[in-house]
Amino acid sequence: MEKKYKSAYYSHVIKIALILIIGGVLAVWARGLFLPDTMGQYGHYRGSDLEDQRNVEVRNHTNESCYECHRPIRLVHKAGVHKTVSCEFCHGPYADHITDGKYVAKMPVKRDMEIKTLCLRCHNEIIRARPEESIKVVAMPLHLEEKKVNVEHNCNQCHMVHDPLLWVKAAYDMMGLEMKGDKK
Amino acid sequence: MKEIVDIVDIKKEIKKDRRAFIKNVLSGTIAGSLLMVIPAGAALDQRLPEQLPGMRGNDSPFTEKKFAFIVDVTACIGCGSCCVADKNEYNVPDGNYRTWVERYIIDDHDEVFVDSPNGGLDGYTKPRKDIPNPVRDTFFVPKLCNMCEKPSCVQVCPVGATYKTEDGFILVDKKRCVGCGYCIQACPYSVRFLNPVSRTAEKCTWCYHRVREGLLPACVNVCPTHARKFGDLNDKKSEVYKILREPHVISVLKPDMGNQPALHYLGLRREVV
Repeated sequence: MEKKYKSAYYSHVIKIALILIIGGVLAVWARGLFLPDTMGQYGHYRGSDLEDQRNVEVRNHTNESCYECHRPIRLVHKAGVHKTVSCEFCHGPYADHITDGKYVAKMPVKRDMEIKTLCLRCHNEIIRARPEESIKVVAMPLHLEEKKVNVEHNCNQCHMVHDPLLWVKAAYDMMGLEMKGDKK
Repeated sequence: MKEIVDIVDIKKEIKKDRRAFIKNVLSGTIAGSLLMVIPAGAALDQRLPEQLPGMRGNDSPFTEKKFAFIVDVTACIGCGSCCVADKNEYNVPDGNYRTWVERYIIDDHDEVFVDSPNGGLDGYTKPRKDIPNPVRDTFFVPKLCNMCEKPSCVQVCPVGATYKTEDGFILVDKKRCVGCGYCIQACPYSVRFLNPVSRTAEKCTWCYHRVREGLLPACVNVCPTHARKFGDLNDKKSEVYKILREPHVISVLKPDMGNQPALHYLGLRREVV
């Protein structure tokens, strides 16, 4: 009874098998065609991307790079309390100024109220999350009132921006006074 | 025989123009000796100080180092230098952040308030006025890629665009990425975003290109309070090795996710997610 339904020919099976085999071969060939050459060189990724990643442009340099040319600032900045502040934080990235060892554009310099904004970005006492050990914070305009100066004054009228205590220390020395909290 | 001919040739050359000959010999010697000093093809100014020793001039695909990143929460002042440097280094599109700084405020009812206006890029200039109770604790938490030992982003990438190098960096292949966004959802730390310009996934790389040149990551280099520390754990003299080995309160973010980050935090509070 059952035998009746079984075909005596295997052509349909052979056809399916052939299609599958050809399809499989085509798929492997196409995969090789579309995959990048270095795919799987070190793992399941394009090996040559490691080289691409290394060739990303270094746009921020170090303070030392700036000191190469800006010698007078080097002496002041390196000796002062702001020595850990990056030049590029206030002036912009090195690559905008020098590209391939050549001067390309002027660096922006902060002026007037921009300076005050920049100073208060770190030194403002209102933001209470700043740890005391890391930074000296001041309250404005309380600080100006305490020091008995005009409340309209800008920070850089007393503090040299590249070494904030340079002039203050000099003034104390001139008066023969001891600076409060001076670690020296 | 040939040598004699050569010498005769040279003599002819000298006779022709003595000045030009000396010039050629001299410039050749100088250029040759310079080539020995300067590795060919290096675009970077070699006079830059090497901040990570033994990295420059290493052309092997992977280094023998095991890098670790430590963020000292107790030192961070939330100035946003790191965010500025990061944006400058990669020209990150506005509204996306490869690294950012969060401000945590915990009041005496143990309610936690977190904000990060513009990712800390403009710094923190205003105090929060909406805290109902007296503040118990407040601090800044810088965030960046955790460079997990078991990265979930790598596991879900369908095209092999995100991968982990043998020295522990998780990188994104811009040419291979199709921008499906699986990795962005898979990352427990939300450090990934879809770059609106290139339409590919992007994230912090711990400045792989800088590290391979012997420079510190841009954010570490600019941090004024040394709250960000980067170094090699295989080097027993490095600062990160000492910190991770000596007794400290060190923690990683979301340890229960099992990703085993290589980014560690010093002085982290349990409220931080």
